Amino acid sequence: MFPAAAKRDGVLPGFRLGLGYTLTYLTLLVLIPLAGMILFTGQMSWGDFWATASSERALASYRVTFGASLGAAAINALFGLIVAWVLVRYPFPGKRFVDALVDLPFALPTAVAGITLATLYAENGWIGQHLAKLGIQVAFTPLGIVVALIFVTLPFVVRTLQPVIEDIEAEVEEAAATLGATRWQTFTRVLLPGIFPAWLTGFTLAFSRAIGEFGSVIFIAGNMPLISEITPLLIISKLEQYDILGATALAVVMLVISFVMLLVINLLQWWAASRHAKSRDGDAPADAADALAIAGGRP
Amino acid sequence: MTTRRATAEPRWVRLLLTAVALGFLFLFLVLPLIAVFWEAFAQGAQVYWDALQEGEARSAMLLTLMIAALVLPFNIAFGVAAAWAIAKFEFRGKSLLTTLIDLPFAVSPVVAGLIFIILFGAQGYLGPWLAAHDIKIIFALPGMILATLFVTFPFVARELIPLMQAQGRDEEEAAVSLGASGWQMFWRVTLPNIKWGLMYGVILANARAMGEFGAVSVVSGHIRGETNTLPLHVEILYNEYNQIGAFAAATVLAFLGLVTLVAKTIVEWRMRKETEMLTAELPPEKTELPPSVATERP
Amino acid sequence: MSIEIRNISKRFGNFVALDNLSLDIPTGELVALLGPSGCGKTTLLRIIAGMESPDGGNVLFGGEEATHVHARERQVGFVFQHYALFRHMSVFENVAFGLRVRPRKARPSEAEIRERVMNLLKLVQLDWLANRYPSQLSGGQRQRIALARALAVEPKVLLLDEPFGALDTKVRKELRRWLRRLHDEMHISSVFVTHDQEEALEVADRVVVMNRGRIEQIGSPDEVYSSPASPFVYQFLGNVNVFHNRMHGGWAEVEREGDAPGAGSIAFVRPHDIDLDAAPISGGMKAVVSHVHRIGPLVRVELEHEAETIEVELTRERAANLELSAGRTVWFKPRQAKVFAVGAAPAPAPKQPFLF
Repeated sequence: MFPAAAKRDGVLPGFRLGLGYTLTYLTLLVLIPLAGMILFTGQMSWGDFWATASSERALASYRVTFGASLGAAAINALFGLIVAWVLVRYPFPGKRFVDALVDLPFALPTAVAGITLATLYAENGWIGQHLAKLGIQVAFTPLGIVVALIFVTLPFVVRTLQPVIEDIEAEVEEAAATLGATRWQTFTRVLLPGIFPAWLTGFTLAFSRAIGEFGSVIFIAGNMPLISEITPLLIISKLEQYDILGATALAVVMLVISFVMLLVINLLQWWAASRHAKSRDGDAPADAADALAIAGGRP
Repeated sequence: MTTRRATAEPRWVRLLLTAVALGFLFLFLVLPLIAVFWEAFAQGAQVYWDALQEGEARSAMLLTLMIAALVLPFNIAFGVAAAWAIAKFEFRGKSLLTTLIDLPFAVSPVVAGLIFIILFGAQGYLGPWLAAHDIKIIFALPGMILATLFVTFPFVARELIPLMQAQGRDEEEAAVSLGASGWQMFWRVTLPNIKWGLMYGVILANARAMGEFGAVSVVSGHIRGETNTLPLHVEILYNEYNQIGAFAAATVLAFLGLVTLVAKTIVEWRMRKETEMLTAELPPEKTELPPSVATERP
Repeated sequence: MSIEIRNISKRFGNFVALDNLSLDIPTGELVALLGPSGCGKTTLLRIIAGMESPDGGNVLFGGEEATHVHARERQVGFVFQHYALFRHMSVFENVAFGLRVRPRKARPSEAEIRERVMNLLKLVQLDWLANRYPSQLSGGQRQRIALARALAVEPKVLLLDEPFGALDTKVRKELRRWLRRLHDEMHISSVFVTHDQEEALEVADRVVVMNRGRIEQIGSPDEVYSSPASPFVYQFLGNVNVFHNRMHGGWAEVEREGDAPGAGSIAFVRPHDIDLDAAPISGGMKAVVSHVHRIGPLVRVELEHEAETIEVELTRERAANLELSAGRTVWFKPRQAKVFAVGAAPAPAPKQPFLF
């Protein structure tokens, strides 16, 4: 797959060692186990596979998983944009502390997040008791899943947007202002299109992480089959009933979805890097030709 | 300064957005963090302390530390090797390889645990053979290490690849041309250049290794005192309605998380310093007026 | 429309960018703000555009107070050094932007927008690039699009910040002449900032030489070059030899003309204003040739004269006749010089040497 006899550039040593170790490790730890799982479904007929993957309980779990993930990613996209904007543009006391805190969900084990959120949003919890007065129940409902996923995927949109907002040239905004654009027009017509690919990438990263999330969700979800059971939990409950084939079938469905998400993220990044740079030879034309063009009117 | 830049938003917009952002972060990040410690100390420090002293909690902590210590060296070696090959050489299939390295991030932790059950479990490919030779992988330490290796697989490589790509080959080539051996070049030139990036990757990988729940949960079998890591211990206590015990164990993990954040911030700060030093423009050359003109007025 | 700048001051922290500066720009003129970097010329331009607020003083547009008018209401066209094109918009959309963001009742119809944008693109000779994106254009093309975009809103004033600074020499020259022609056709007041004296002298109707937040001299290109008002202007515009209080021969009187007793004087002489001869000349000074550089049509000779280096520029012919080479003894004599008394000249503050 990776030709070992690749072009050796220059004098640096260690190409064979580095690539050899990388490929061996990758193959043993990731590729063989994943391939093994996919092949394992060969023990069941296509009909059995399909019946398991599209059973009522499985379909309901996809709905819950995707719906909650979409909701959480959308909320994070909106608030992540605001957080990233504020962190880059506005000074306020304690900003460095707040900036560091955004990564908390990456650092805090998901089980801790799970039990804490479940306690906070329970009917007698700090937040739950106020929501209960409004007749809103969060813990042990699909809404609880959304809350847990918001926490877990919170950093993605913020962290993908921050560097992009930092890189906006002040001159571009000033140009829009001298051309008569209001601040809102500048934002919607000039800034937003510029940061849109990164925004979408952050959204997709959050979404794809949310789909696979397990630890933080199970404590707050209530885990009612057909109502608040996510697909990873369904896999585990099949395992606990020694239905390893059924678990594998669902896992393969999730794996395919993961592959698709990975592909989408890669495409998005490629799109962000290459859009509007579609000149045929890949480079902007040289100025020498331009000087002639000015002198002669047209090329 | 009171300059009115043409690109500043009105004051009320700035205040509103700042309030919304901070409110959102308070609700979803700060409040849970406070709640962890609040719940753990709900019945006083003594109860908290006793919960941590309990034998099963201590063995869970020990196991968590041990798994992290065993997993990290493999990840470091792999990360450096992969980044070296990808960043310093050109070969076909490079972008595919980079994507495959990211693959474990895209896989659900539950699936990550399941793949090792299928390989080594009783009903799996190698299960009967392992049973015949009395080797335990699943529901034992090796399985948990494998699952943790899988979920922390990309961290170090991911940090190092862009860093080493940005640094280019010049310095290593200079070292080789000056007669350095491969190892001398690596220890004296490459490693000093990537040390902060490496540290950053290790910090993230460590946080994940200690905190991993889903994948380890699938392969551990939840044997108390034997295959219970700290996150799994939290779950068991919580499900037994031992609120204090669960949150006491959770504070240890939360504390580790906070240490991770601080360490990460320090390393980020060091990395920024170094890039600033490297990319800082040299001061422009000074041209002085002749001294006679530059003298002060009488 | 005329621009009046009255007593403008601006600081950034401890750095004084503009120091109580006043300037009138009459309608229709093309004015160059010339000076070394850090002299405040860009800050002044940004204050005129409304992108920066002065700490004190006023800006008047056509006699009307405009100091606190927002940038978007000033009707100025601004061209940035690095173009600042909107990279996700096509060339056409970039130029149309200023028309599209107008309030609905002032917005032209789609057909009008199309016509105006295409006319502007024809004006900058790039109508064949309307559907390209900025990343597909060369630097010179980008700058012309930026100019078309600024002109689309029919500005009363056109402001250009180092408009050709990011381009290479050849394209710069072409664009410079083209800007001059364009200005003559458009009849609007234009101000451009540059640190390139050649650019300022070639293009502008008037040159404003700035240094350390102050104006050193205002005048036509010819005036500022041939009769500089201060040592700074003399040094900044072209090469110059500096003689201080050590003149000899025919120059002996000069130093005694100092205003106050004890105050020294300095004389500035352009390298091409010095006669050179192989034989002694009356009133000439003796020197030894240390280097001879042949630069295109000119020959630049460095002379050693009493431990000072003097630069002389000759034509190739003259140099050939003299058979100049390093180590030769020659006689030189300044043809004309400008003398400043040290105390009288606006001497720059001593601590910060200005930076090029």
